[in-house]
Amino acid sequence: MTALLSATNLQKTYRLGRVDVPVLRGVSLDVRAGEFIAIVGASGSGKSTLLHLLGGLDRPDRGTGGDVTFDGRSLGSLSAAGIDRYRSRSVGFVFQFYHLLPELTVLQNVAIAAMIRLGRVGYLRQRGVVTARAEELLGLVGLSHRLRHRPAELSGGERQRVAIARALMNDPPLLLADEPTGNLDRASGLGILEALVTQRGQTGRTIVLVTHDAEVAARADRTVRLVDGRLSGA
Amino acid sequence: MYASLLTRRYLSTKLMPYVAVLAVTVCTAMVLVAWSVMGGFLDKLLASGRVFTGDVTITWPTVGFAHSDDLIRRLEARNDHVAAAAPLIQTMGVITLPDDQVVPITIRGIDPVRYARVVDWRGVLYWKPIDAPVPKDRAAEDPRLDPQWRARMEAALRDGLSMSRPDPVTGKPVPAAVPGIEVSGLSRRQPGAWYEFRKESFGKPNADGSIDWVGGFMPDRSVTVRVLPLDSKGRDVALVSKTLPVANEFRTDVFEIDKRSMLMPIDVLQKLLKMDESDAVAAEFNPYEPPGPDGFAPVPTTGRSPARVTSVVVKGQPGVAPDALLNTCLAVYREFADAHRGIVPSYAAMRGNERFPPRLIQTWEMSQAQFVGAVRNETGVVVTLLSFISLVASILILAIFWAMISEKTRDIGILRAIGASRAGVGWVWLRYGLLIGVIGGLLGVGLAYTVATNINEIHEWLGRAFGVQIWNPAVYYFTEIPRKVDPANAAKVFLGSVGFSLVGALVPALRAAWMDPVRALRFE
Repeated sequence: MTALLSATNLQKTYRLGRVDVPVLRGVSLDVRAGEFIAIVGASGSGKSTLLHLLGGLDRPDRGTGGDVTFDGRSLGSLSAAGIDRYRSRSVGFVFQFYHLLPELTVLQNVAIAAMIRLGRVGYLRQRGVVTARAEELLGLVGLSHRLRHRPAELSGGERQRVAIARALMNDPPLLLADEPTGNLDRASGLGILEALVTQRGQTGRTIVLVTHDAEVAARADRTVRLVDGRLSGA
Repeated sequence: MYASLLTRRYLSTKLMPYVAVLAVTVCTAMVLVAWSVMGGFLDKLLASGRVFTGDVTITWPTVGFAHSDDLIRRLEARNDHVAAAAPLIQTMGVITLPDDQVVPITIRGIDPVRYARVVDWRGVLYWKPIDAPVPKDRAAEDPRLDPQWRARMEAALRDGLSMSRPDPVTGKPVPAAVPGIEVSGLSRRQPGAWYEFRKESFGKPNADGSIDWVGGFMPDRSVTVRVLPLDSKGRDVALVSKTLPVANEFRTDVFEIDKRSMLMPIDVLQKLLKMDESDAVAAEFNPYEPPGPDGFAPVPTTGRSPARVTSVVVKGQPGVAPDALLNTCLAVYREFADAHRGIVPSYAAMRGNERFPPRLIQTWEMSQAQFVGAVRNETGVVVTLLSFISLVASILILAIFWAMISEKTRDIGILRAIGASRAGVGWVWLRYGLLIGVIGGLLGVGLAYTVATNINEIHEWLGRAFGVQIWNPAVYYFTEIPRKVDPANAAKVFLGSVGFSLVGALVPALRAAWMDPVRALRFE
């Protein structure tokens, strides 16, 4: 099976004051379609940075030849609009700190992903369909009774489930989850993991999940370890 | 779509945007009120030019010109452009008021009937019976409403219209004057924009220490007029004076006119000024000629000198453009000057030219041009200065948005992560600025309209509550603060507010658009 997502020699250096801090020192990774892969590693090992590069939120260092290829297309060759489209249609992000918009209701937080994808005219045409899908997804994560609530009124686990529903809103082939259980108690964390695994079983979606929790990583098809900015195999 | 959703949400959940809206509202209202007052001032000023001058005035100042009746006949023959024309004598003089004050004054000699065909001078006669109080006279204290005074008011109106007053002894009409209502100081303007006169008598001390008690109603009193007659060459003749009863007073609401001018019958003034028909004296004669029977050297005459007036005022037909009317008057004057060559001022002297003003045949706009131009410039300066001050609102929006964007940094990262473009994120904030500008602008226009409409009441309240009088009619010409919100100006100010708000939002919006999404997401 060919790789859906493929990273080649990813290098990323951040500048802290006058010091260059290399975070990724040449990471190459192939993820097959439908695969559930866990990236584990200590804090500061570059897990989140790798995920941001895979999701097109950030670009690898220039001049290193590093690139991410999705479905045969190099992200490095995409225009700014192309990258925006990639994030909107092909990728769903789930973050450790949920990252919901506090002013919007649960339903709006989920639907906003479709608003961005469809644009004003498209959204107004498909408003009913979008709302129905957002409600359906929130139903799947068990939040049908919380549609009009604000994120501040939800528990951590509930917020993360809203974030998952948002990530799935545009039905992206790739889900990138950055320590989705890291900020939750054990029971909630397991619930979130269950939700991810369940919907993957239904849709065959590809998942790249970053965690430092071995129990979470154990649910993946494959685990890779990041140590000092390099992959060290499982 | 998400932009409008977020704009709405941000606006309804935060306090600071309301501060921005308030700033825009206040600035918009400030600029528009200033513009409305100044614009209204300008409009009133333009209109005031017409109160006594008609559409076009033909003037040979001070000494006047002859054969005005022929000129008027020629003008009125051009009835395609000219509706009516009337003679006018305008001169400077001093009058002695009932309380013995002597004040300088502009005197206009008019023919009550002919002058009324050109300007509505009858409409400005003040003392007349009225049936309902003026709008702001809530307590109905206006003496013109008083039934006891009704007969006197009717008589004053009658006298005013004919510019005469019956002699108390013979009952025969005697020529009478109509001064402006502010001239005597005996009629006091009330806050409700009506005049109260001193009904009770006031003491007038005499040189011997005794006191005469006289009433304060001007149409019961008389004034003494002193003018300086000049002959047709501008040489002085003698200072003359005449006491005239007062028929009525007029009120134009232009303080300068109400305070410093007076109307009187043209024939009386003509005689006083020696501008009536008389023997023409030879320019040179021999003073050593033997004296005649009266003991004086005989003064040779060169025939009769025709009566003179200083001006002819012209009213245009409805719809005739001022310039067309002016050209007609110029053409008529040219024929007239040709017909009376050597007797009346030449066409070239009357017309003047661009380089050598004054032009003596001019429209009322031209006669007001210098002052109006100054006020127009002043309006421009005030509006520009206030607009600069309104930049503060722009800067305030910038500061508020900058702070909000700092607070909302993570939201920007989230939006970028789920696919929003830089432009989309920038538009959220630009749109927000636009909305603040539109709401603030609309509220500001509303506030300005309310303030401008009630500005005289507000001014009076300030006067009552704090003893502040900002608008002094002696300085600003008009007894009331002009109020008129021009919709076109309102639209311009509104667009300006929206524009300033957008400028204020632009920098923060660019900052949001260029924010690194990864850093934004990590923002704590």
